Amino acid sequence: MRQPDERALTNIVDEAAVEKIAGPASTPPAWYRFRPSLVLNVLSVFAFMTLWTVSTEMGWVAGVFLPSPAAVASEAQKVIATGDLWGAVVASSARVFLGFALAGAVAVPLGILMGVWWPAKALVDPFVSLLRPLPSITWIPLTMLWLGIGESQKIAIVFMGSWIYILLYTIESTKRVDPLLIRAARNLGAGDFSIMTEVILPGALPGILAGLKVTLAISWSCVLSAEMIAAQNGLGAMIWFAKDWGNLPLVLVGMVCISITVLVADLLADRIERLLLPWERNRRL
Amino acid sequence: MPVILAADQVTKIFTVNRGNAIMAIKNLSLDVEEGEFLCLLGASGCGKSTMINMFAGFTQPTSGQVLLRGQPITRIEPRCGMVFQSYALFPWKTVRGNVEFALKMKRVPAAERRSVAERFIHMVKLNGFEDNYPTELSGGMQQRVTLARILVANPEVLLMDEPFAALDAMTRQVMQEELLAIQEQNRKTVVFITHNIDEALTLADRIVVLSARPGRVKAIVENNLPRPRHVASQLTPQYAALKAEVWQYVEEEVLKHVQADRPSAI
Repeated sequence: MRQPDERALTNIVDEAAVEKIAGPASTPPAWYRFRPSLVLNVLSVFAFMTLWTVSTEMGWVAGVFLPSPAAVASEAQKVIATGDLWGAVVASSARVFLGFALAGAVAVPLGILMGVWWPAKALVDPFVSLLRPLPSITWIPLTMLWLGIGESQKIAIVFMGSWIYILLYTIESTKRVDPLLIRAARNLGAGDFSIMTEVILPGALPGILAGLKVTLAISWSCVLSAEMIAAQNGLGAMIWFAKDWGNLPLVLVGMVCISITVLVADLLADRIERLLLPWERNRRL
Repeated sequence: MPVILAADQVTKIFTVNRGNAIMAIKNLSLDVEEGEFLCLLGASGCGKSTMINMFAGFTQPTSGQVLLRGQPITRIEPRCGMVFQSYALFPWKTVRGNVEFALKMKRVPAAERRSVAERFIHMVKLNGFEDNYPTELSGGMQQRVTLARILVANPEVLLMDEPFAALDAMTRQVMQEELLAIQEQNRKTVVFITHNIDEALTLADRIVVLSARPGRVKAIVENNLPRPRHVASQLTPQYAALKAEVWQYVEEEVLKHVQADRPSAI
């Protein structure tokens, strides 16, 4: 940020706006500020962990129903040491990434086309209505028949579970682009192609990215259910095998690991979103 | 002065629900002369925005014609540049990106675009804010960007649809004076919509008072108040006399409008 005195302040009547840009004189950095809600966050987690520890260590809850935090931690240490956990995370992440990227590559362009050109929407709409209510696991029999139980089948499950949501978000955000901005652009001499690249695409981008972020979490649930039913590796398979061996601590390790992985993916998506939408930065703060 | 923009027997009917039609404008004829500053003055709902939207080619008349230099306007017309009340800036473009837009559409090379934009950003006194996004600016500053953006496009006519209505009274006053200064330099034809008599008296060469719905030309008042006009101009006897004259026309129409909005049972 430049200092306000660099700007020709004498010409500007809008001092409030300048203050808005420069920010109030001296605020401590964001991480330093005292936040009461953060204190409660920490307290509630601490209380939960205490209750979990006490109830399992004191034998109020039997270990076969719920392992203690210590058991889970030592199991986690074991699978981290052997590299099994990391391998599972990588296998699942790769499937999610490929299926999700494929779904985006198909659904985003198709959604934009459907948003701006009604015949395309009319042609595809019936299929969207029929396919949308189907949970992705209902595609498991057909995809296994067509693709076997290899990687492509997992990717197909992720694809089938994701593309419709991306499509719906994209259509909606394309149609929501302010018609006044399209008018203004035409008034400034824009042709059809420029309207698309200069107005509709950037105008729809925030909505499309929001849709992709929501869908990313859905993609993760797709891959996990696919892995639980038929897979040799991945986090879903790890949990399922652990259940079969009666290794409950490993089940919990898998669940925690899924949470963390999806959270990290979400954080990454947030970063990318901020990078792509510099004009929304100010609105967010 | 030759006529640059004209409405010839224009009628505009909007179909609201099935079968329900509203006549916004009825048989309106109006000539705008080249280089003049013309204000369309009228109460809300008199069809003045509809009229300016037809000048821009955003909507077509139901009957009659809108003409630019004798040629009918049948689609969005870049030679009639519009300044919107709600700014209509591209939120994803910086001040510079917005101001350069029309030049980019004309495929002007980037370096030249930049220097032209620089000049107009200077003209509206926004230097130092080139790289800010519109959401980071106040309303008055955003309207300056809109003004610079349309001036860069160099249209033959500037259409302004209540551009300062959303601004506070003090910012509005400053913007009016700046607009006059800019028009002095560019000598552009301006069609300016307002419901504010003081604004019309400060800005216009001619004031066209529109009647209540359906909109027609109620009166045309020549505004010969000396230029440059400042806040002090509003204290002169000529100003007061002219204001009284305009108000007389406006008052009749506002009363009609209020009457029409009343439930018929009363």
